Amino acid sequence: MLRFSLRRTAQMAIVVFGVVTLVFFILRLASGDPANLMVPPGQQEDLVQLTRERLGTDRPILVQYGEYLAGLARGDLGVSFHGGQPVLDEVLKALPNTALLAAVTIVFSSAVALVLGIGAALRANGAFDRVVLVYVSVALATPSFWLAIVLVLFFSVRLGWLPAIDMEGPESFVLPVITLAVALTPVLIRMIRLSFLETLSDDHVRAARARGIPERRVILVHGLKVAALPLITLVGLQLGLILAGSYVVEYVFNWPGIGKLTLDAVVSRNFPMVQGGVLVAALAFVVVNFVVDLAYAAVDPRIRLAAR
Amino acid sequence: MRHRRRLTILVFVLAVVAAACTPGDSEGDTTTTTRAADTTVAPDTTTTTVATAEATTGPSGSVRFLIAENFWADWDPYQHTAQSQMRIEAQIFDYLVDVPDTGAPPVPMLATEWTQIDDRTWEFVLREGVIFHDGSAFDAADVKASIELASGATDVATLQAGSWISTTVEIIDDLTVRLTSEEPFASLFAQLRSTIIVSADDLANNAEAIKAQPNGTGPFRLVANEPARKVMEANTDYWQGAPQIQSLTWEFIGDPDTRLSALLAGQADVIDRVPPQHLQVIEGSDNLVLDSVTGIESVNLFVLPGRLPIWDENRAFREAVMRSIDREVLVTGLIQGASAVATSFLPTETLYHQVGDPAYSRDVDAAQALLAEAGVPDGGPEFELWVASGFLPRAEEVGAAILANMEEVGLKPKLVVTDLSAMIDDIFSEDGTGAVYHLSWSSNGDPFSHAFVYSETFAWFFGDERLQELIDLSATTTNPTERERVVQELQSYMWEQLWHVPLYNSDFTVARNSRLVGLDVRPNFQTVFYPASISE
Repeated sequence: MLRFSLRRTAQMAIVVFGVVTLVFFILRLASGDPANLMVPPGQQEDLVQLTRERLGTDRPILVQYGEYLAGLARGDLGVSFHGGQPVLDEVLKALPNTALLAAVTIVFSSAVALVLGIGAALRANGAFDRVVLVYVSVALATPSFWLAIVLVLFFSVRLGWLPAIDMEGPESFVLPVITLAVALTPVLIRMIRLSFLETLSDDHVRAARARGIPERRVILVHGLKVAALPLITLVGLQLGLILAGSYVVEYVFNWPGIGKLTLDAVVSRNFPMVQGGVLVAALAFVVVNFVVDLAYAAVDPRIRLAAR
Repeated sequence: MRHRRRLTILVFVLAVVAAACTPGDSEGDTTTTTRAADTTVAPDTTTTTVATAEATTGPSGSVRFLIAENFWADWDPYQHTAQSQMRIEAQIFDYLVDVPDTGAPPVPMLATEWTQIDDRTWEFVLREGVIFHDGSAFDAADVKASIELASGATDVATLQAGSWISTTVEIIDDLTVRLTSEEPFASLFAQLRSTIIVSADDLANNAEAIKAQPNGTGPFRLVANEPARKVMEANTDYWQGAPQIQSLTWEFIGDPDTRLSALLAGQADVIDRVPPQHLQVIEGSDNLVLDSVTGIESVNLFVLPGRLPIWDENRAFREAVMRSIDREVLVTGLIQGASAVATSFLPTETLYHQVGDPAYSRDVDAAQALLAEAGVPDGGPEFELWVASGFLPRAEEVGAAILANMEEVGLKPKLVVTDLSAMIDDIFSEDGTGAVYHLSWSSNGDPFSHAFVYSETFAWFFGDERLQELIDLSATTTNPTERERVVQELQSYMWEQLWHVPLYNSDFTVARNSRLVGLDVRPNFQTVFYPASISE
């Protein structure tokens, strides 16, 4: 397990290094000069150059890259082009907000998916199963952006029950979590339903029933344990994706997380802030996947053995 | 299994508890207060005095303002042209004078009196007892440091210097200064209204610090400088009396639907740049109010010299393009609000505005005849028309409408829809492929400040010496009658030459909760919160 962990840690470092390097160069080579944005369009070159010097983007790109890496080694992500705020401070302020939204969403989505997925599997081809499958189809076809606006118009503007934007308290989680959950649950439900259907026909489940173990215990202990394996992987991947930036939801709900921070920075070509946001997103993604692998290995002995 | 079930429950409980413990933005007290009316006396243009007013009650309540433009820059004085931040600076800083309306005489702010010494020199008496937010006293040294830096009279180049004539400041005593421009400067007062007064000590010793923490003498001081959110608090020591609003938050939210939802749900008090499709919703609300003005902003098709040679060489082709576009439909059908068809290269609210003749209304036959006169009856070469989505209201629709108009007369535009950054990169790039750009230019209402964008300082200049001469004269002609004549000649000349295509003057619509009263919405896009208060 130690060797497995070390190997994965090295892989994670390479992935994160690759991502930050890619983002660094893409921003500078493909996405435009922030100095141009900060002066009136059409302004003569000398004033643009003056702004470049202030931002430090006038130096050769490899020099900028070297300074960026040196800063990273010191834990310094630089300062924002637009206000001089330390990027690390801003990213660390936003990260817990995204993490909290992701955690609540995952817990809520998993609970919903488990109930609906298991229920559908237990009554396969029955009325409940059909209703669940309809929900899955509709949810899959529903764009998050549209759903978020509809939810806000109905629950916030018309009924006045819930906040339309911001992260202000428990009630402000309701609409963003529902929006994310509607996108997340269809895949989870389908996976659980399928996995559970297969598990229920396995020999060990039939043996458990033959031994006279109550059906509830057969389902919750023998069935769920096996069906949970793909769920862990899927939830881990989805958690990574949400942490890496639920951009649409954070944008529509003005959620002060990594997604909104990065998106705003991209629009205004605030390079240091984009780099900081992407670095944190990449780290979150690989760390979550690492934890999922560990959890998977802990649950399934075959993976542990393979790691050796 | 049991352990895992417990773990799941624990994670859920922790998540909910953490969510419950998350600190929210508490709503501030919205107690009604009243403020004594200012007794500012509007002076004539040579000498003036002013009496300050004292507020009768202290500040209270909070106001949240959601704006459509991101914060592009830091707070380094005079080194940015970000409209969003200039608007905030008007809350944090003061100017020597205020010019509440275009063409109106200046009124005192940090200067209480002024006297013209000669055609290049003005003497200003400064207000006594004004202090910066850090507690330091304001005096003549601050004016000298600020004006000389802003106007380009020092070794430090600034972005703002372009709209100034270099001006030096002589300190007569602690509260008297004499400003001397290199040439007679007709836009002096307009520029003074656009030039914040910064502490000389800050410029000398805290140059880095004030990029993140501005230190002004204005009615509000910045207390939180987040990337997309700026929070200000009332400056209770303000020389005109404390503001009536205790906490003022400006926040960038790019999505107009999100801004509207927040306003309708009561989570915002004011939103700006209300798009036309939202006007009806707001008008139908009992507790919301619209403030619409025609902005001092020209939305043009700017053409870059050298990218479309026939444009540079052939006036008939330029007029054909102008006459191909139905600008009336753009205004009434798409932009709406208080927008107006451009009748000059200077917006309606600019000093000495003059309606151009002819009107250049859409005329397909005339446009086709002009193309024939230009030697390109087939419509001439292909060219790229660039519009930036998410910048000017309904830019994509405007671009599509113009494209259809042009194609109908035989022109061969290719519409390129992109974001603002990519468009600006294309303008600056030697390898850029665009020729015509849908962009805007706003100013403080002074004719020179507005015409400046067509001058040799900018890439839009076609080497027209007469145009440059008239723009220079609009800055240096100080006699009002003579200046009016110069500015009108400038407008006639530009209207005749048609180096660019003036489309419309922007709508600037702000929607607010009716409990917020006294908000000053100006055509130069300033939204001044100092007179405002919150009613019950």
